[in-house]
Amino acid sequence: MATITKPTGRSQAVRANLIALPILLVVGLVWIYPFLWTISAAFKTQAGMFTSGASLVPDQLNFDNFVRAWVNAGFSGYFVNTVLYSVASTLVELVKAALCGYVLARYEFPGRTLLYRMIVGTLFIPVASIIVPQFVLIEQLGLLNTRAGVILAMSGGAGALYVLLFVGFFSSVPTDLFEAAKLDGAGFLKTFRLILPLAKPVIAVVVIFQFISSWNEFNIPLVFTLGQPDLQNLAVGMLSFQGEHATDWTGFAAGMTISFLPMLMIFLFFQSYFTRGLAGATKG
Amino acid sequence: MTTTAPAPGREKVTGRDRSPAKREPERVDHSRERVRGLDRVWLLVFLAPFLLLYLGFTIWPLVATIYYSFFDWSGIGPIDHFVGAGNYGSILVDPLFWVSVVNTLIFALLTTAIKLPISLLAAILLTRKWLRGKRFLRTMFFAPLIIPVAMAGLVFTYLLNPSNGALNAILRDLGLVDRGFDVFANRWSALLVLVLVSIWQIFGQYMIYWIAALQNVPEEVYEAAAIDGAGEWKKLTRITLPMIRPVAVIITLLGIVNAMHVFGLVVTLTAGGPGTSTYVVSYFIYQNAFGSVPFAYGYASAAALLFSVIAFVLVSAQGVAVRRAQRLRKEYGV
Repeated sequence: MATITKPTGRSQAVRANLIALPILLVVGLVWIYPFLWTISAAFKTQAGMFTSGASLVPDQLNFDNFVRAWVNAGFSGYFVNTVLYSVASTLVELVKAALCGYVLARYEFPGRTLLYRMIVGTLFIPVASIIVPQFVLIEQLGLLNTRAGVILAMSGGAGALYVLLFVGFFSSVPTDLFEAAKLDGAGFLKTFRLILPLAKPVIAVVVIFQFISSWNEFNIPLVFTLGQPDLQNLAVGMLSFQGEHATDWTGFAAGMTISFLPMLMIFLFFQSYFTRGLAGATKG
Repeated sequence: MTTTAPAPGREKVTGRDRSPAKREPERVDHSRERVRGLDRVWLLVFLAPFLLLYLGFTIWPLVATIYYSFFDWSGIGPIDHFVGAGNYGSILVDPLFWVSVVNTLIFALLTTAIKLPISLLAAILLTRKWLRGKRFLRTMFFAPLIIPVAMAGLVFTYLLNPSNGALNAILRDLGLVDRGFDVFANRWSALLVLVLVSIWQIFGQYMIYWIAALQNVPEEVYEAAAIDGAGEWKKLTRITLPMIRPVAVIITLLGIVNAMHVFGLVVTLTAGGPGTSTYVVSYFIYQNAFGSVPFAYGYASAAALLFSVIAFVLVSAQGVAVRRAQRLRKEYGV
């Protein structure tokens, strides 16, 4: 805490940086060590990996492991599935939450309050506790072990939160704006199309959150693809890879690297959106 | 779970969902229109996607869970073997269920107690104006969040393995141990590893929440305090912390609730072992429902419901305690 006490002047700020930065950097490096280790292991030979211990320097530099993971171990398939699941479920979440949030915020209709309260009430329901009936439902729809079934399950349960975000945003839009739109003769749909672009910060938050969480989703793909390994996403596929090739840790590391690099890219790209959107969204 | 991450998403609501609800009474008259004519059709069209999925994947499953829990059902054939409270009876005396409950609660409390303060500290540091390289540092601490929980678990099983993992290599090099030791061989050390890896993984999410909360404290308040001669420490304890307290309560609640749903880490790090000593409730449910034939959907549903009740009671008890504490503090002016 001493570092944040009184950096008022310029030299004090420099001094505070000199104390805080090295500490933060060291902690940060330890923090991302597992990443660095994984990336370096992706280049190592099996023997090199076994003897290298905590070292981060690979004993060779080639892409054999990547090729093996991508082609032989089916990571290309897992990757395609993961992209598909993430994009599709993000789209579904976004559309349904934006539409429902807009209506809840803008219009009075019978059952509005009840619906709103129910949404708030079911915010904290864990997937694990209702996954059995979801499984039965998907089975009955004939969608078990299909991609559509996984997508439906992934985007069906979540989303109450996103609706609330949109409700919050749309009810903060000044009424004058709607009045103006009406004066211009805009109908229901037209008004929505005019207002929606204003919700960009909320849309960004929903897209990022849902994309990350569906990219990382484990429970649902695991349960809904039990009979169909080629429908698995990266998170689940990784586990079955490990089950089948228990000793191929370098191939595993390469697969890991393949799976987290795109997300890292996305995060770096959208980082400012992320914190700013979140700050905006939590503003009461 | 995590899904759900947990889903990362969960938190935002926190600050948010209160305000519209609070605002409702005064706003209801002016801003919300009644729908007329053709607009009613549009209203239904707009509501339909959410409602359909919500009814199918949240409301119905909730009801069905309650229903299943009174039957002995393996998922095949009709649900006709009514057992009344039988499932509950056997769960209450199932030692594995209680091990799972205890583990889940220990896990939830420990992770929350550790991750919240340190992520707040990091957030405070990483929002200082004078600090250089904020973007880079934030990215570093956020990074673990982008790898699936299950994968994090697999990486750590390797890093921590007794024969050639990094941890043992370092300890050996430092001369602290001479033979590799297996952290997963013992219930308590395995639980501790679960807690630590989970904190490592989820830390960035809470850091971002705190950063968002901190950024919502209006700049003018600090400026006014600075004019009055308040130092940084005073600003922190007298302005920042009190002002983010409402959000903090919700973040804490969410932290606990999310931690109670831990699943992927347990599957990949310990698989409930050694033996069954690190079972958590979601893993218990999964094992009963899908882990081995014959599936015990009814039993799993009853367990899910029972734990939801336990969790609900604990969480709301905590909510009540927090509110009472706050009232007391107000009365005594602390």
